Amino acid sequence: MKKVEIFDPAMCCSTGVCGPSVDPELTRVASAIYSLKEKGFDIKRYQLTNDPGKFAENSEVNNVLHEKGPDALPIILVDNQVARVGSYPSNEEFAEWFNVTPEELREKPKARVSIDINSLK
Amino acid sequence: MFQAFHPKNVVNTPFLFLTGKGGVGKTSTACATAVALADSGKKVLLISTDPASNLQDVFGLELTNSPKEVPGVENLFASNLDPEAAARAYREKVVGPYRGKLPESVVATMEEQLSGACTVEIAAFDEFTNLLTNPEIIEQYDHIIFDTAPTGHTLRLLQLPTAWNGFLEESTHGASCLGPLSGLADKKNLYSKSVEVLSEPSMTTLLLVTRPDVSSLVEADRASMELKEIGIKSQILIVNGLLQSYLKEDEVSSAFYHRQRNALKQIPENLKQNEIYSLPFVSYSLTGVENLRYLFKQYSIPSMELSFENETDNLPRLNGVINDVSSDHTRLIFSMGKGGVGKTTVASAIAIGLVETGHKVHLTTTDPAAHLSHQFQSDELNQNLTISSINPKVEVEKYKADVLANASKDLDEEGLAYLEEDLNSPCTEEIAVFRAFAEVVAKTENEIVVIDTAPTGHTLLLLDAAQSYSKEIARSTGDVPDSVLKLLPRIRNPKETAVVIVTLAEATPVLEASRLQDDLRRANIEPKWWVINQSLYATNTIDPILRGKAIAEIEWIHEVNEKLAKKCSIIPWQHEEKVGYEKLKDYID
Repeated sequence: MKKVEIFDPAMCCSTGVCGPSVDPELTRVASAIYSLKEKGFDIKRYQLTNDPGKFAENSEVNNVLHEKGPDALPIILVDNQVARVGSYPSNEEFAEWFNVTPEELREKPKARVSIDINSLK
Repeated sequence: MFQAFHPKNVVNTPFLFLTGKGGVGKTSTACATAVALADSGKKVLLISTDPASNLQDVFGLELTNSPKEVPGVENLFASNLDPEAAARAYREKVVGPYRGKLPESVVATMEEQLSGACTVEIAAFDEFTNLLTNPEIIEQYDHIIFDTAPTGHTLRLLQLPTAWNGFLEESTHGASCLGPLSGLADKKNLYSKSVEVLSEPSMTTLLLVTRPDVSSLVEADRASMELKEIGIKSQILIVNGLLQSYLKEDEVSSAFYHRQRNALKQIPENLKQNEIYSLPFVSYSLTGVENLRYLFKQYSIPSMELSFENETDNLPRLNGVINDVSSDHTRLIFSMGKGGVGKTTVASAIAIGLVETGHKVHLTTTDPAAHLSHQFQSDELNQNLTISSINPKVEVEKYKADVLANASKDLDEEGLAYLEEDLNSPCTEEIAVFRAFAEVVAKTENEIVVIDTAPTGHTLLLLDAAQSYSKEIARSTGDVPDSVLKLLPRIRNPKETAVVIVTLAEATPVLEASRLQDDLRRANIEPKWWVINQSLYATNTIDPILRGKAIAEIEWIHEVNEKLAKKCSIIPWQHEEKVGYEKLKDYID
């Protein structure tokens, strides 16, 4: 199974509503990642201000950042290789990587999940 | 007309909070209260959480976040919690380790993200919770007095626990705005303990401090109601700076006295439900333990030097500002300042001045505490002046509805729930309001637009970042409205835009205004004018008490004119409230 890691730029929230307008792209990506995680796939997401350590430690990501600066974000790694720089994968790409259909990425769980405060660190 | 405030007879809870807009005398009242309680044999801790606090000056003592004994007052301890310092420390803790490891430009984007109002507020609240829930500290003292920050800040500070409790529980995806602050999530229990302490009348008393003037009473009323709503019901109103007598032959003195008495006739109903006390208008500065002790003895005048030469005669009045922006062909004018300094009045007067000079002007307000309709009442307006208002609450709702309507095309119910939650973030309001005035500006043609509030530097920097970000990645543009795209560079252009900072010649308002200026400078915007409003020094009163106050203004007029302002203008204290087009013209004659 493939491992996908997404390195987001600094932003307050993962849907991007704090910007001048909501970016539907970010909302789509957030939903797709949510669905994939629910299915048990190995997909992780790091946000610059929350997890700066991940950005500094990962040599692939750090190299891209030194070369292109913060505008290179988001950076997407697939199995530790840089797969995309400066934009998010489409649902089709996600589907291909994980061998699911793009439609499945729009399926949502029906119940709200309660969050374990301690896991937020 | 009210009972004199004396803490010994009034205060009987371990916690005491002071609230009121900047400049009403919270710090002085808090200090005097602390000294009086300590003098009566109680052990007292006085804590300042106000970033503009001058607690240190009052006691002539360097203060830190650990309590220090105040010399000359047995049993009194004081400490200073600067929320901005706490926020800086927090920011450095997050960012510091990555300097040198990540490129500088990347570190800069992290820093900006952590420079918002939220970070400062959370940091402040965090400091404050630590004290409120620490039995080791609490048990040592009979009274702990919090000299809190100005109203808006205080409100958010105190409202936070409820907001955050709800937020932490409801967070279904665990990312969101907790983002930079996620380290605080495990303090949830402490937060709810703080809320309990605050809403327990046997534990906490709220002192609402106001001046005897209409706008600060309105503000106190708003604070009172909002705090009652979140459960802080044990409230006492203190009318600070009440002039006890006046000189009949002095026009300023008698007008000052009657304005105060008239304002007090209009105390809002809700405030009348509280116990009300008063403190006298005093000419001496409330620094040093002796002067603080005088206050509750209701002394108003110790002897002082009364003659002085007026140095403000060479400072321009408001028409200096108007002529300047008029001849510079400025298209966009923002007046900026904390609540109660008169930025709506100044914006209105500038607008009228420009109309009188022959310009077409559109005036708009976003200040929820300001009422342009109040300012103009039912006047017949000049045909070259149009007026509109932006209500932040309405704009936020509109923005949320807009976003949800747009997004519902692509998202199902669960996705929408997810988005809705992010929309409850505190940043949403700033963005929504900015969009609203971008729309107002976009709709005007051939008109000068005067706005009685300005975006913060932080908002501008975030918008800027978002803008270049979306340019960079054509694929991932949310639809940044045209009006916003067009407005950003205009605000940055000093040929087109003038920011006018409004303040009073007093410690807290000047400090607050200088912080606004620093924040704008971060976004490369240089305020063009400072306006010192309501100056007694610029009048020719001979009333000994008012004159004492006027002399105390000198220090702050110098500070503004020589250190802070590029160009400085001063407005003398006005004999009456200026309401209506014709009356507002008095400012420019």
